[in-house]
Amino acid sequence: MTDVDASHRQRRIHEVFAALFVSGSFVTGMTIVLFWALCTVLGRHLVPYDPLADDILNALAPPSAEHWFGTDQLGRDIFSRVIVGSRDILTVAPLATILATGVGTVLGLLTGYFRGVVDDVVSRFNEAMMAMPSVIVALLAIVALGTSETTVIIVIGLSFAPVIARTVRSTVLAERELDYIAAAKLRHENSMHIMFVEILPNILPPILVEFTVRLGYAIFAVATLSFIGFGLQPPSPDWGLSISTNYSMISGGYWWAVVFDALAIASLVIGINLVADGLQGALND
Amino acid sequence: MSRFLGRRFAFSLTTLFLLSLLVFFVGQVLPGNVGRTILGPLADQEAVDALNRQFGLDRPIVEQYGTWIWHFLQGDMGQSYIYGVPVAPFIVQALGNSLKLALVAFMLVVPLGILGGVLAALNADRPIDRVISMGGLSATVMPEFVSGVVLIMIFGVWLRWLPISAAWPEGAGPLTQLYYVILPAIPLVLVLFGYIARMTRASMIEALDSDYTRTAVLKGLTWRRVIWRHVLRNALLPTITVIASQTGYLIGGLIVVETLFRYQGIGSLIFRAAKAKDFAMLEAGVLIIGITYAVATLLADILYSILNPRIQMETAND
Amino acid sequence: MTRNASWLDNLRAGLTPPENHLIDGYVDGRVSRREFLRHGSLLGLSLPFLGRVGLATGLGAAPSVARAAGQPGATIRVACTAPEAEIDPVLVGDYGAFLMLQQVGEFLCVDGPDLLLRPSLATSWKSNEDGSVWTFTLRKGVKFHSGGEMRADDVVATMDRLADPKNSSNALSVFKGILQSGATRKVDDYTVEFHLNGPNGNFPYLVSSDNYNAIILPASYPGHYETAWDGTGPFRLHKYTRNVGASFIRNEEYWGRKSLPARTEFTFFADIQPQILALQAGEVDIINKLPALAGVALLNDPSVNVMTIKSSAHQPVHMQCDSEVFKDPRVRQAVSLCLDREKLKTGLMKDRAIIGNDSPLASVYPSADPSVPQRKQDIRKARELMKAAGKENGFQVALTTEQYLEIPAYAQLIQRWVKEIGIDLTLDIMDRNVFYGDAVRGKSPWRDSVMGIADFGHRGVPNVFLTAILTSDGSWNSANLQNREYDALAKSYIGTLDLESQRQVAGQIQRLLLEETPVLYGYFFDHLTAMAKHIVGVQPTAMGQLFLQEAGKA
Repeated sequence: MTDVDASHRQRRIHEVFAALFVSGSFVTGMTIVLFWALCTVLGRHLVPYDPLADDILNALAPPSAEHWFGTDQLGRDIFSRVIVGSRDILTVAPLATILATGVGTVLGLLTGYFRGVVDDVVSRFNEAMMAMPSVIVALLAIVALGTSETTVIIVIGLSFAPVIARTVRSTVLAERELDYIAAAKLRHENSMHIMFVEILPNILPPILVEFTVRLGYAIFAVATLSFIGFGLQPPSPDWGLSISTNYSMISGGYWWAVVFDALAIASLVIGINLVADGLQGALND
Repeated sequence: MSRFLGRRFAFSLTTLFLLSLLVFFVGQVLPGNVGRTILGPLADQEAVDALNRQFGLDRPIVEQYGTWIWHFLQGDMGQSYIYGVPVAPFIVQALGNSLKLALVAFMLVVPLGILGGVLAALNADRPIDRVISMGGLSATVMPEFVSGVVLIMIFGVWLRWLPISAAWPEGAGPLTQLYYVILPAIPLVLVLFGYIARMTRASMIEALDSDYTRTAVLKGLTWRRVIWRHVLRNALLPTITVIASQTGYLIGGLIVVETLFRYQGIGSLIFRAAKAKDFAMLEAGVLIIGITYAVATLLADILYSILNPRIQMETAND
Repeated sequence: MTRNASWLDNLRAGLTPPENHLIDGYVDGRVSRREFLRHGSLLGLSLPFLGRVGLATGLGAAPSVARAAGQPGATIRVACTAPEAEIDPVLVGDYGAFLMLQQVGEFLCVDGPDLLLRPSLATSWKSNEDGSVWTFTLRKGVKFHSGGEMRADDVVATMDRLADPKNSSNALSVFKGILQSGATRKVDDYTVEFHLNGPNGNFPYLVSSDNYNAIILPASYPGHYETAWDGTGPFRLHKYTRNVGASFIRNEEYWGRKSLPARTEFTFFADIQPQILALQAGEVDIINKLPALAGVALLNDPSVNVMTIKSSAHQPVHMQCDSEVFKDPRVRQAVSLCLDREKLKTGLMKDRAIIGNDSPLASVYPSADPSVPQRKQDIRKARELMKAAGKENGFQVALTTEQYLEIPAYAQLIQRWVKEIGIDLTLDIMDRNVFYGDAVRGKSPWRDSVMGIADFGHRGVPNVFLTAILTSDGSWNSANLQNREYDALAKSYIGTLDLESQRQVAGQIQRLLLEETPVLYGYFFDHLTAMAKHIVGVQPTAMGQLFLQEAGKA
């Protein structure tokens, strides 16, 4: 890698950042995501009540000056729970996505670079995984392994890896025909070096975009698993879990037991998508 | 072409075989046992053991798998432990239901998605494009239970316009069935709209930029004709791939929708079978999704190559 | 009393000592009217008879279910949980399945909503003096849906089928050690004798609707129940669709009063929430089994009636007595003293429950000794006990349980409360099937957890709760209680026939369990059935069965 390359790359990064900060969707999305990230880190200190403190004789109280979003089945303050509720999902989903991206990138590099038998075998496994809806794969694995945050991270991470591997693989296929790879081969660089030092930095942008997109799906998956009782566990104030326990309440007029959690999920998901969109726009310009 | 298809077919078979093995071994580590599930947690152990012996569950696992796959290859999907009857009718019925729901969702979402994508592309980077693109993308990752619960509340409980349970009465005609399936289909439409609109938009923009569009315009064709005959046709190609890649989800991944709306599809069938360790049912359910997925991708490849002969068969797999 | 003494004497002629003992207790005021009726029905004194004793002693007549004012010919639509497996009377063990069985099948006697045994296919029953042989007289003129008349041979075959270990029978958990295959004998076409392994004071409950497998089938029953759905009940099966629902139609040949509804329809659900929505959307008329916490929207809904039946259903919290953290009974008592039972009752169970006192002898059982003091929340005392046990710094332990009804909420409340005495509970809440696992030690989180919450349905008599869960060799003894004194007391309770002796043993058991506290019994929750306002005449049981023959729309 030459100095010219490095300075070119630096300039490119500046351009991307400049593009990002004038992109309305990126800024809006990032604001939302940062808000929830802040709640994840500091939530406990910001909220008026302990999100786990029950007051069961004051259950399902409507929104009031005292409880802005009302109270839930056990009399817990919903406002505090919604604010703190981002914590588990914003820990589990990103970790799962990082795992998926890591595994997927390595698989994609290997299969795309070597092709041949490695490619055929790994691709068949990937295809077998992708033939199955990820919810089913995750469910089977969680029923088998037992529910815990670690299991959820591993299961979602591994079940998302094939999709990322496919994206990376097709990028690598295009990349390996380029001159700098041929040059590296002429220098007798070993394959590991070519894959991880030469190719990887050049395909980072699509991987980054794929990461943000998958993060949205990971949140979808974690929330779904929690909703059907195989994800996060009580007493976590997780949004999906809260909706699952309370969704029959709306019809009794207790809409506040569900609506705020639903809005919270919606805002986070939209925020992440705005970021992904802004990122994609900036990188493609 | 036939060489390409043959290769694809062989790949699909390998994939399905791997899938069956995968499910089999996952099935082995699933907790619980069949006799216990049937008799309940409080049944006497002696009774549970007797029942498991009767099912042959005390045999070595490889033997169990061997017997099962031998029969499966001969077209016999086996017996459900839990229901004591052949699995096939369950699978056929559940698959039928899943296909119905998927079909209704498709009929709604494909025109809507393409329309949305075209509108967005024609108004690229204007507010209408932003709304469609961002709205679609957000709907795609909105968990179905969020939209499903809202729909149930509005249309089922408050307005009472649509039935909240998708189980239609016996002997209902296609129209009645459709009436029952609309509500559960909407969350699927929301999930898929974003994919299709986005794909259509991207390929539309590419097509609008292309030489043949410019040529067509220069030839003096009306804008409307150019859009219909040239742009749209080319823009639809990637949409086919997107649809094919979503069949697995549409057929088997609807556990939440099926649970919310009490719909008897493949997803909840597999879920129940997994929890009860009903092995034959689990295997058959998973393989049927695998087969549907394989068939759909194969069809998409064929369709793609017919519509766009420029594609090189050898790289279609990449 | 003197006024009616001779009539009473006449009534008493020919009764066994336990029966006369019961009447004495009633006349002297040691036994309340409710307890008298209930225990009397168990001993086989008919309700009219009990009513006459009541009249003779000047205390009013026995309760009876009045025919409701519903219109005949209605279609009644019920929401219920889906049967988990093939419907087979010998095998089934889940609510959905035995609700289906009970629609077409009938029992020798029925454990009614007031926990009184009522005659059904048997018209009367009585025991020998020590309660080891019970004689049931069968109803005449009862026809199976398949045509034949029900006779003693059919009852004998049914009971033998259920008591035979070779048949994988679910009823083994009830009959094992009590009634063996071959011990049911025909006396004549309409009389059957049960020769038990030993005295059993509560035997009729074991062949009543409480033992949901015990519907009477023809001796010629060939298996594969779902092909014929035979039975003797007021409804016949019309159509059964797995995982979807079932419909039943009036049985015109029924031995009793013909059913009011022309048709009943059951819709299966996996979960309670959609059932509530279905009732509110008008798609069903009845929810068979409504948990109070999840159903709170209906409890306050003016368009819905919620019927309440007292039951002994509960969610016991076991603490392993041989575990490092709980081996000292003082620690177990301390945990128990953290529970605010009043709050559990009003808050968690919305007042649809009775408070428990750390023993399965719920106050719904007439044999429970009401003089045993109720345990109440006392954090100060709990802290002292922890200190005395050398655990004043607390400890960490996992509370393992299932995703079922109110249990997750209950677990969270316990978690908050025991924090007060320094115990850090981590919750491990899993799917129900996973939690019970193989239900044997080593292969079941339920049996292996140091602390766990299980769920038990209603039983008309506490026998199973007293033996299987708490005796040293009990098959569901998750707490690992090994206490010889307790074992002896439980055995003596089972063998006791008369109410006062039962209550005396019960008092000893209750006190011993307060001392040992292997299992927390916080509450016993009512069986709730929700129905649209215009539906009348529905008769649920605490077991979760639903009698619809008198139901109609007002």
